[in-house]
Amino acid sequence: MVQFHEHIITELLEDCNGGLVVLSSGLSLSKLVSSLLLLHTHSEGTLLILSPSSATLRSRIILNLKTLNPQFTQIPSEITADLPAHHRHSLYSSGNVFFITPRILIVDLLTNKIPTSMISGIIILNAHSLTETSTEAFIVRIYRSLNRAGYVRAFSDKPHAMVSGFAKAERTMKFLHVRRLHLWPRFQVYVSQELERDPPEVVDIRVPMTRYMVGIQKAIVEVMDACLKEMRKTNKVDVEDLTVENGLFKSFDEIVRRQLDPIWHTLGLKTKQLVSDLKTLRKLLDYLVRYDAVTYLKYLDTLRVSESFRSVWLFAEASYKIFDYAKKRVYHLVRSDGTKVREVSKSAKNKKRKVKGDNKDSEEADDGTPSSSNAGLVLEEVLEEAPKWKVLREILEEIEEERQKQGGLTEELLAEGKDTDNGIVLLACKDERSCLQIEECIFKSPKQVMSEEWKKYLLSKVQLRDIVHKKKKKPKDPKGFGILDGVTPIAPAQNAETSSISKQEHDALLAAASGLRDLPENHDFEDPPHPDFGGRGRGKGKRKAGNKKGPIVNGVSEVHSGSREASTSYKAETSVDSMVLVKHKNPDTATANAKPLPPVHFYALESDQPILDILKPSIVIVYHPDVAFVREIEVYKAENPSKKLKVYFLFYEDSTEVQKFEASIRRENGAFESLIRQKSMMMIPVDQSGHCLGMDSTFESDLSTSQNSMTRKAGGRKEVDKEMQVIVDMREFMSSLPNVLHQKGMRIIPVTLEVGDYILSPLICVERKSIQDLFMSFTSGRLYHQVETMVRYYRIPVLLIEFSQDKSFSFQSASDIGDDVTPNSIISKLSLLALHFPRLRIIWSRSLHATAEIFAALKANQDEPDETKAMRVGVPSEEGIVEDDVRAENYNTSAVEFLRRLPGVTDSNYRTIMDGCKSLAELALLPLEKLAELMGGHKAARTLREFLDAKYPTLL
Amino acid sequence: ASSQVAQSRNAILVSHRQKGNPLLKHIRNVRWTFADIVCDYLLGQSSCALYLSLRYHLLHPDYLYYRIRELQKNFKLRVVLCHVDVEDVKKPLLEVTKTALLHDCTLLCGWSLEECGRYLETIKVYENKPADIIQGQMDTDYLSRLTHALTTVRHVNKTDVVTLGTTFGSLSHIMGASMEDLARCPGIGERKVKRLFDTFHEPFKRLE
Repeated sequence: MVQFHEHIITELLEDCNGGLVVLSSGLSLSKLVSSLLLLHTHSEGTLLILSPSSATLRSRIILNLKTLNPQFTQIPSEITADLPAHHRHSLYSSGNVFFITPRILIVDLLTNKIPTSMISGIIILNAHSLTETSTEAFIVRIYRSLNRAGYVRAFSDKPHAMVSGFAKAERTMKFLHVRRLHLWPRFQVYVSQELERDPPEVVDIRVPMTRYMVGIQKAIVEVMDACLKEMRKTNKVDVEDLTVENGLFKSFDEIVRRQLDPIWHTLGLKTKQLVSDLKTLRKLLDYLVRYDAVTYLKYLDTLRVSESFRSVWLFAEASYKIFDYAKKRVYHLVRSDGTKVREVSKSAKNKKRKVKGDNKDSEEADDGTPSSSNAGLVLEEVLEEAPKWKVLREILEEIEEERQKQGGLTEELLAEGKDTDNGIVLLACKDERSCLQIEECIFKSPKQVMSEEWKKYLLSKVQLRDIVHKKKKKPKDPKGFGILDGVTPIAPAQNAETSSISKQEHDALLAAASGLRDLPENHDFEDPPHPDFGGRGRGKGKRKAGNKKGPIVNGVSEVHSGSREASTSYKAETSVDSMVLVKHKNPDTATANAKPLPPVHFYALESDQPILDILKPSIVIVYHPDVAFVREIEVYKAENPSKKLKVYFLFYEDSTEVQKFEASIRRENGAFESLIRQKSMMMIPVDQSGHCLGMDSTFESDLSTSQNSMTRKAGGRKEVDKEMQVIVDMREFMSSLPNVLHQKGMRIIPVTLEVGDYILSPLICVERKSIQDLFMSFTSGRLYHQVETMVRYYRIPVLLIEFSQDKSFSFQSASDIGDDVTPNSIISKLSLLALHFPRLRIIWSRSLHATAEIFAALKANQDEPDETKAMRVGVPSEEGIVEDDVRAENYNTSAVEFLRRLPGVTDSNYRTIMDGCKSLAELALLPLEKLAELMGGHKAARTLREFLDAKYPTLL
Repeated sequence: ASSQVAQSRNAILVSHRQKGNPLLKHIRNVRWTFADIVCDYLLGQSSCALYLSLRYHLLHPDYLYYRIRELQKNFKLRVVLCHVDVEDVKKPLLEVTKTALLHDCTLLCGWSLEECGRYLETIKVYENKPADIIQGQMDTDYLSRLTHALTTVRHVNKTDVVTLGTTFGSLSHIMGASMEDLARCPGIGERKVKRLFDTFHEPFKRLE
């Protein structure tokens, strides 16, 4: 245990009411929480930890508990809806520690199934993602009202998320009813002292990018800049925030969305597209340093197919370079007589200029004439390897040399039973994909890896040809020129320009691919067409054409990798050792002349495992630098002061990778500085008994009455004479409305409803739709069926259309409405719904809070709803009365939805399919006969089978 | 005369009360004529609409109720077409919602006169239209259907669908792919891999 964790815990325990702890990412939240849990004793009562959305955090805590204290018997298990109610009750009273999903906890609290006096406290691990209306806040409010002595301890290791929005930390503390804020940045004196006392040996290696990589990076930044300029022109966004520097952060999306959401409906398609383009561009920057040249090109091709006509960025001047350079990293075109087609790149460059808004055909014809008189083009592979690969090999060789030298020494140490230097080498990459690829690079050879990728790439081209000939469609021009498609969207099909360069290039690709297909497996590697740095040598010839403007990009800063931040990982449930550690023995079989390399363990940062503690490596190579992981290394070193630890960092020089790393530290520090300022000015009201007042006290008394059915009639209420009740479907506890209704003083009765989401009275049944849901469920037809059943069972069936407070209150701007009545418009769909269900009532609600008021107003003169009746409505009689369970949790909902969207699957047969077949993977393998049996007919079965097996039309 | 009757059957009948309502300018896709009717707009044999501007409602809070009462029980579909033309909608909209709901009217909101006009046009044009466009029918070509299915998995976008399709070749191969193969697809990160894999391999029913 590191000492600063002790400090944190001591501070936290000072206030029996709880507190909010914010610490730097990577300072091992899981260890901190585990240490805290060790202090828990039975006699205090039961301790509930709200299950974190990241399963890895949970498994890390459990693992830490086991290692910290093997005797500790209270390894927390998880309370889920699967456990029967009486079983849950006995767990709540057991005095142990449990993880629990917020949804089941709130339901049990509302139905009085929890002996709250037995609950000593609640631990929340994601304080940064809470809001006033989130279920966690709801839980705390009820818990506090029933047990004033309990504590709430909330944690966050995402400081930058704690400062988004106005006074977020203070508001969070208010609704959690805690008074103390504990800030533990990396620069806090205890932390820095401890981590810097005996730091690991660090080797910082800056690898230069290849010329084309630099070129691509520069081009992407140029395009981003162009997109940002366009956005500035719209005058819709605060200009100050619109810098390329900001645009490289993931948080930029949030900045822009927050500003644009309220006026989203007034934005033109172009602005919306710009927002999504910036996201795509950021991804491209990130992938540039992570993917190999061929995969990168492939991804670009895919993007072009899926985005072509909508994107703005594809047509920006500089994007031409992105595609061109990406291609040049992979192959060149050569005349079959051996001369290089230098004109291609030159003229291409000129063309890029001219073509904007110009006639494409004539341009291409210009290019085409000279080359068509010649023999066709053939491909010459370049297959540029990632520069880091070579450097990595050098590092590994160096490590192995060291090891050989110290060989005798190490053995002695081992003999003495010390594990101070076990020589384990850990290589940390961002993702699993990179791990696999780098492993192959070491195990086989980079050349071979590139050839394999290349082969796969070419094969996908062959498939294209087959398809294209069948479909009689003009193929997407496969390479750089393709981006020009959008300029003249419908190029005349097969015409004179077939002899153009791009066509020939296409043919050359296909030829190469067909050649490949006929080759026996190993051939390609024995005669690699180019030596190691062939790419570079060749590149020189092109430089004049491609890189006139000087190679290095300045002022480029960060790429923030889109979704990569999330910590969920598919390794979570499986045992750490078997999955994460891809170990291999000496790879010297692969390359005869290569020096021996040490065994290497691979680790994907995304999988978020406590790898350092498991492996205890002596050498860590950080292949993709990441701040949180660096901190983890520091903590690991501080915990094992006697251990020798050497860390290599591999950065691409002058890349956005470096800037991203540095900026994320700056950003975190900035967040903490802001939190420290906020803390100094915070006003947390406290009542006499030392409790934090998050709400007014009259309200609190309302709460306790509403939770206690015995004293329900006792009163204490001022505005409403009788207590209002609302029956709420269990699934609705994902949303915030139950919380807000409860805040308004209504009694919430959670049950499983087959029809509707909220039952306000025996007559009124409400189906709630957020705007996004509304559009989606119109498209899927779900809404139609939901309304159909509501109309069948209730006198006043209601569709509630709930807008979001911070988004615009309308569907579209007047200019988006168009001139004609069109079937796709939301107006048409709503009108049609009204026509078909004239009894359907529609509520248009500005916000959650407005909804709560409308509900109260509607209930004013109505009887209270009956929960047993409500539960039975719409339940097929053969199934009998629904058990007291949470249905949604018993189904793999995305699989069910997926199933229902498959052709041939209907409302009437999807249940039998689910009965006769376990999962989608199993369904994919079922023969036609079996399908026909399950789906009740051969026609439907054939439709489905054909869809499953249909060959995907390759467009690349 | 008979042609006049036929014409008026295909037209929206507008009450003389609505004279001067700038909304009328925006009814362009359907013909309309003034007539002596109790509702504001007669949209079909048994469909009618009352027009209400929220601003007007603030001045005359009882207006809507009296107009609804006049309608009596003569119509199957009674629309209250509410023009949202005030900034602070919460209170007036609550009142209108309550009145409409408790007196058997379907409330439709428009934020511009164009939008309000379009509702009237659409209800008239769609008078006899079947509901198939809201019953879940959609584009039937392979790619749309595949995209439709795969995008049920959260965060999977169109680009990913193309990637998955080209990598695995068919839906059944995508559904049978291993985590490792999924992870090798460019652009498909850890989270998506996990979501996809779980969707395909976790049983439909978690409990036996």
